[in-house]
Amino acid sequence: MKKILTPLIAIIAIGLLMFLPFYTGAYFLHVVMTILIYMTLSLSWDMMLRTGQLSFGVAGFFGVGAYVSIVSFANFGINPLFSIFLAGGFMAVIAWALGFVVLKLRGIYFAITTLALTTVFSVIIRNTPRLTGGASGKVIPNVIFQGDSSKIYWLILTLALSTILISEIFSRTRIHFAINSIRTDEIVAKSTGINIFKYLIIIFIITAAIQGVTGAVYSQQYGFVSPETTFSLDFLLLPMAMALVGGIYSTWGPVIGAIVLGFASEYLKLIMPYGHLIIYGIIIILIILFLPKGIFGSLKNKIQSSK
Amino acid sequence: MLNVLHLRLNKTFLIFLVFLVVIAIWKPIPLIYGLQRGGLYSLIGLPLALILGIVGILNLAHGDFLTLGLYIGYIFFTQLGLDPLISVFPLFIIMFLLAIGIYQISIKYVLKAGELNQLLLTFGISMVIIELIKIIWTTRPRNIYTPYASSSITISNFSIGIYEFLYPIMAIGVLILLQLFLKKTLLGQATRAVGQNPKGAEIVGIDTNKVYLIVFAIAFGIIGIAAGIMLPRTSIFPLSGNAYTLKSFALAAMAGLGNLNGILIGGITLGVVEAVVQSIPGYSGWSDLVFFGVLIIVILIRAYRGSES
Repeated sequence: MKKILTPLIAIIAIGLLMFLPFYTGAYFLHVVMTILIYMTLSLSWDMMLRTGQLSFGVAGFFGVGAYVSIVSFANFGINPLFSIFLAGGFMAVIAWALGFVVLKLRGIYFAITTLALTTVFSVIIRNTPRLTGGASGKVIPNVIFQGDSSKIYWLILTLALSTILISEIFSRTRIHFAINSIRTDEIVAKSTGINIFKYLIIIFIITAAIQGVTGAVYSQQYGFVSPETTFSLDFLLLPMAMALVGGIYSTWGPVIGAIVLGFASEYLKLIMPYGHLIIYGIIIILIILFLPKGIFGSLKNKIQSSK
Repeated sequence: MLNVLHLRLNKTFLIFLVFLVVIAIWKPIPLIYGLQRGGLYSLIGLPLALILGIVGILNLAHGDFLTLGLYIGYIFFTQLGLDPLISVFPLFIIMFLLAIGIYQISIKYVLKAGELNQLLLTFGISMVIIELIKIIWTTRPRNIYTPYASSSITISNFSIGIYEFLYPIMAIGVLILLQLFLKKTLLGQATRAVGQNPKGAEIVGIDTNKVYLIVFAIAFGIIGIAAGIMLPRTSIFPLSGNAYTLKSFALAAMAGLGNLNGILIGGITLGVVEAVVQSIPGYSGWSDLVFFGVLIIVILIRAYRGSES
C-alpha cells in the first residue's frame, strides 16, 4: 500500500506545482518562487551538514554564482539560460579547488573559514569594478525569458525538484552510509576503509554547484546584482533557520521548514510591514528552545513511538 | 604588568615586537592608526573570546549587543547629559544584568544541545535585537559630540586623533583586570577549571551553571565598556556593531581558545596590517581582505600542524 501511495502523492504534488501559474495570481506565484529559492539553499546546506561539516559558505557560493551568470551575460553576451549552467560549473570548479584545502578542517574552524570565504569573495568582487560594477552593482536590461513569470517559475521549480531528487539519492544509495559514518565517527569510518575525503569533496562540489545555480537563477530573475544584496547573510541564515525549524539530516525537514517559515515570513510582512522580522526571530528562538529536532524530526519521533 | 599578563618573551611575542619595529620604520603613521584600531578590535574581541573559550558558545549576537550598548549610551548622553566616559559604569552594570536575563531565559537551555542549535539561537537573538533597535530608534544614523574626542595632533600632513589612544589603553587595562580575576580570585580559578574541563570541575563540586552565568555577565559588561568608549567616535546605527562579530571571531580563532593575551597581539597585528594596506593608494578597498586572508591562513596552518602530529 505504502509503496503505491508515496509515488502517487509525489506525482499529484508535482502536477499541482507545475500548473500553479495557471490558477494563482502573480503575488502568490512570487511568494512560492522565493520559498523555492530558499528551499534549495536550505536543502543544499543540509546535505553538507549530513557529513558533519557545518558550512557557512552558502551565501558566498550563492553570490559568486549570481555574479558569474550576470557578468557572463552582460559582458560576454552568453545566453542567460546557459549562463546559469556556467555558474554551476564555475562553482563546482571553485569548490573542487577550495575543497582540497578547507575540507581538512573540522567543526567550528570549517564553519569560520567558509564564512570568511564569503567575505573574501565579496571583497574581490567589490574591488574589480570593470568586470563586476564594483560597489554599486550591475543591472541587466531585461531579465530571463523577457520576464515571463511562469517560465521563471518553472525554471525555479525544476531547480528545487532536482535538488530534492539529489538529496533523496544521497539518502537512499550507498553514499548515505558513508556520509552517516563520517558524521558519527570519522575515525571508525576511516578504519573501515571509507575514503572520507572523496565523499566529502563530492558532496562539497555538488552542494556548491547547486548554490551557484540558485544564485544565478535568482540574479536572472531580478536582473540585478550588488555586493550588499547578493552576498547578504540572509542567504545563509534563513536557509539555516528553515532547515533547523523543519528538522536537519533529512530531505523533508528543510522542505517543510522552508514552506512553514517562508509563508510565515510572507504573512508577517503583510500584517506588519515594519519589524516583522522580530517575530521571525522569536519563532526561531522558541523552536530552538522547545522543538530542537524540528517539525519533521519531532513528527517522525511521534509516529515511531506510537507504532 | 608583564608579570600579570604572563607575556614571557616567547617566540610569538618576539615576532610581534619585530613586526611592530619594522612597520614603525617603514610606515610610522599607519602604525599609529593601526595601534588605535587594533586596540578597539582587541577590546571588542575579548568578551567574545571569553565566552567562546569558557562556555564554548559562539555568540553570533555579539556585535548586536555592542550596538545595543551604543544606543543605551546615546540615551544617557542625550537625555541625562551623561558623558560617554562616565556612562561606562552604568553601561557595565546594565549589560551585566542583561546578560543574566538572557542567560537565564535562553542560553542555559542550549548548553548541551550542540553547536548548531547554539549558533541558531544566538542568530535568532541577533535578529530580535536588530529589529527591536530599528523599531525604537529607526535606521537613521546618530552621532554625539564631545569636545575632547575630536582633539588631534598633526605630524607632517597627517592628523592623528588623540582620543583613539584610549582604545589600546582600555584593551590592556581590561585584559589585566580579567587576568587578575581569573588567576587571583577563587571564582576566577573555578572559571578556568570549568574552561579546561567542565566535567571534572563539576565532579570536584564547582557549579558550572553559575560559572557560565558569571562569564556571560562579565563578558557583556566588557561589551558595555567598549560601547561607552567608542561612543564619541562612532556613527550609531542598527548595524554598527555587526562587522565586529566576525572580526572578533577571527581574533579568537587566531589566538586559540582560551588565549586572552593572544587577542591583544592578534588584534593589534591585524589593525596595523589593515592600516598599512589602506595607506597604499588605489588599494585601500582591499584592506577588508586582511582579516579574512590572515584568518584563513592561520586556521589552515593550525589544521595542518594538528593533522601531522
